[in-house]
Amino acid sequence: MTARWFRILRDRNGRLGLLFMGLVLLLALSGLILGADPNRIDIPQRLAAPSFAHWLGTDNLGRDLTARISAGTRSALTLALLIVAASAFLGAVIGTAAGLFGRWLDWVVTAIFDTLSAFPALILAFSLVALYGTGRQTFVILAILIFMPQFGRLARSRAQALRHQSFVEAERLLGVHPLVIVLRHILPNIAGPLIVLAGMNIPVVITFEAGLSFLGLGVQPPASSLGTLIKDGFIYMSESWWPTIGAAGTLAFATLGSTLLAETFRDILDPKSATDAEGRA
Amino acid sequence: MISFMNRRSFLAGGAVFAASPLLPPFVSAALAERKQAVVRVDVDIANLDPGNRIGTVDGNVILSVCQTLARFDAGKLTWSNDAAKEIKQISETEYTFELNPGQMFTDGYGEMTAEDVKFSFDRFINSDAKGKKLAYAEDLGALDKVEVTGKYTGRLLLKHPSPALWLIGLCDASGAILSRKATEALGDKIATQIIGSGPYRLAEWRPKEQFVLEINPDYKGAAKAHFPRILAKFIAEPKTALLSFQGKELDFTAVDPSSAGEARKVEQAKVIEIEGIDYTWISLNVEKGALADPRVRQAIRLGIDIDMIIAGAYGAAVSRAKTLLAPGLIGAWPEAPLYNRDLEKAKALLAEAGQTGLSVSFTCLNEAVPMATAQIVQANLAEIGVTVTINAMDSGAYWAMGSDDKSKDLELTLIQYLSKFDPSFQTQWFLSAQVGLWNWQRWKSADFDRLHAEGLATTDTVKRAQIYIDMQKLLDESASCVWITHGRNFFIHADWLKPCLLPNAMNWQYEYFGEA
Repeated sequence: MTARWFRILRDRNGRLGLLFMGLVLLLALSGLILGADPNRIDIPQRLAAPSFAHWLGTDNLGRDLTARISAGTRSALTLALLIVAASAFLGAVIGTAAGLFGRWLDWVVTAIFDTLSAFPALILAFSLVALYGTGRQTFVILAILIFMPQFGRLARSRAQALRHQSFVEAERLLGVHPLVIVLRHILPNIAGPLIVLAGMNIPVVITFEAGLSFLGLGVQPPASSLGTLIKDGFIYMSESWWPTIGAAGTLAFATLGSTLLAETFRDILDPKSATDAEGRA
Repeated sequence: MISFMNRRSFLAGGAVFAASPLLPPFVSAALAERKQAVVRVDVDIANLDPGNRIGTVDGNVILSVCQTLARFDAGKLTWSNDAAKEIKQISETEYTFELNPGQMFTDGYGEMTAEDVKFSFDRFINSDAKGKKLAYAEDLGALDKVEVTGKYTGRLLLKHPSPALWLIGLCDASGAILSRKATEALGDKIATQIIGSGPYRLAEWRPKEQFVLEINPDYKGAAKAHFPRILAKFIAEPKTALLSFQGKELDFTAVDPSSAGEARKVEQAKVIEIEGIDYTWISLNVEKGALADPRVRQAIRLGIDIDMIIAGAYGAAVSRAKTLLAPGLIGAWPEAPLYNRDLEKAKALLAEAGQTGLSVSFTCLNEAVPMATAQIVQANLAEIGVTVTINAMDSGAYWAMGSDDKSKDLELTLIQYLSKFDPSFQTQWFLSAQVGLWNWQRWKSADFDRLHAEGLATTDTVKRAQIYIDMQKLLDESASCVWITHGRNFFIHADWLKPCLLPNAMNWQYEYFGEA
């Protein structure tokens, strides 16, 4: 098993992914280590270029960009992990139940997943914001609603395939409680694909959060977000390009790094897909 | 014999001809005769009913599409006859007018008569078709009635002498003469489909994108338009507008004060700078929760660092305002108190009011300067223990709060209103009758209302000035407004264009736009 994980280091994409994510994590933690307040306004320092005092310069209100990008990165990573974990958990529970018990439950769950998937994400975002206002809570609920059906569908299809397997049938005939069957046989068999899907969704959630914040629908001031930093930076681009470069660069590293890592994980956990991909190529 | 065409020059000429469609649009435009000026508007058309217009974008369209009895001269606050052939002042409360014959409304709605003048002004005196008072009714508040004495002649009878009637009423968008036939036929559609007899007609409007004014060939007045077309593109964000101007997509746009320095560096362009008379302030809703307590409002006023806002949000390109009326206007109040930040006093006032852990919302436009202001206010008020939640809105939703009592749930709101040269135009938005419309403080004062009425009827300039100073004292005591700036207006235009603005900088006279 350990040898499989060492394959990350042997894989070029894995090494790059680790490097990028390492840098992103370092930046995310740097704000905490340096102790700079990301919301401290210092007008005389507005739009200052990088210096010893402000490593990445300052924004239009003189706030330290290192601290703000660091806070924005922490926020993006925390939200991405929280949303993906919650979506995977809920999707796994609901999808497995639908796949195992079938009948009306399967019909209802499939209808809900189809309805949620059919809604364009932005329209859903605008509707929720109109109803509940902007902010982190609204964003988390919105993102879970958008990402959960993917996990649910995957869990449902795997559970449907497994329920007719002989070992599951045998346990059922022996009178084993359905919950025990799920924990002993179903979940271990669907965990791999769910983890791969979760990994692939992390960069998507990071970009989604940045996109919504760019549109003013995500994280609200004074909290920092990579999306709002890019937007504000774009407005003042002609006066200073540091805010845009810093935030956009971090976002690029975070999404690229997590994508490369997720792809490497997928290849490790599901070597067939990697072989298929190579075969097709 | 000298040959003027050889094989090489033929090929070169052919290549240039073939490549000409590939030239960038601005090069092609520069080579062609100027058929249009492209301007940027920061707010989309919202309501073209002269009495219910939302802002100056609407007003500027109305004034270019409709005629008024008299029209402002190019760039000046003097006026000349437009629809009227003659206007006579019989007494301080009576005018007679005679219209030019043969002035046709567009789209086949016939000739303008004195009946149309009466119909247009009666809407302000009475109400609209649904019995609702028009939002700008006060502009013609001095008008008692309009009498028609002939096909082209009539009388304007005033309730009292009115020094402001022509300046803010009859020459402005409220004085637009509508076609009775068209207005009755269009009903509610008048808000988006205006029929006039002015220098231009509204040929196209694509909401949230652009509108096009096309010259009205049947216009009979003196203010003949120079450009066959004015194309107005809607770009809300001023920084984006400057980038568009630099990309040659615009010929004229307002520029954020904080970007004025950058605008001055743009080549083949000129920057116009006009001292502002408008007013930007933070409105405190006196009916909402803790804000109903004047001590809380005073604390917030003392907690906000206006100088920081001027430096941070406006790049120190504007100066600080102390009160409603800008210096130089009738009723300007130089001795108005200046509230500098005093955290201790602010905290003491909050404690006295029994307020701890107060949370308020701060509503503003989702643009660079308002957002920067909001974040400074948020940081400032956090220091006195007040949590501010920013509610940034796009311009459509924001200005829609000026109707149907939608403003009742606002708490702190950053507002910029535009001004005219008569103080009564500015004070009218703070009247009790404007609660539910444009008085977002929801502050009501019978004394303020009475003084406003007195100001409208007083012709003695010194007495008038004192009336408006007294009104500002009442506003100051209410602590419902935290004044920020009167602004300074910056515009950038292509060096070939000669824009035309009234001295308030917000009334753009499209009909007088020309080539330098």
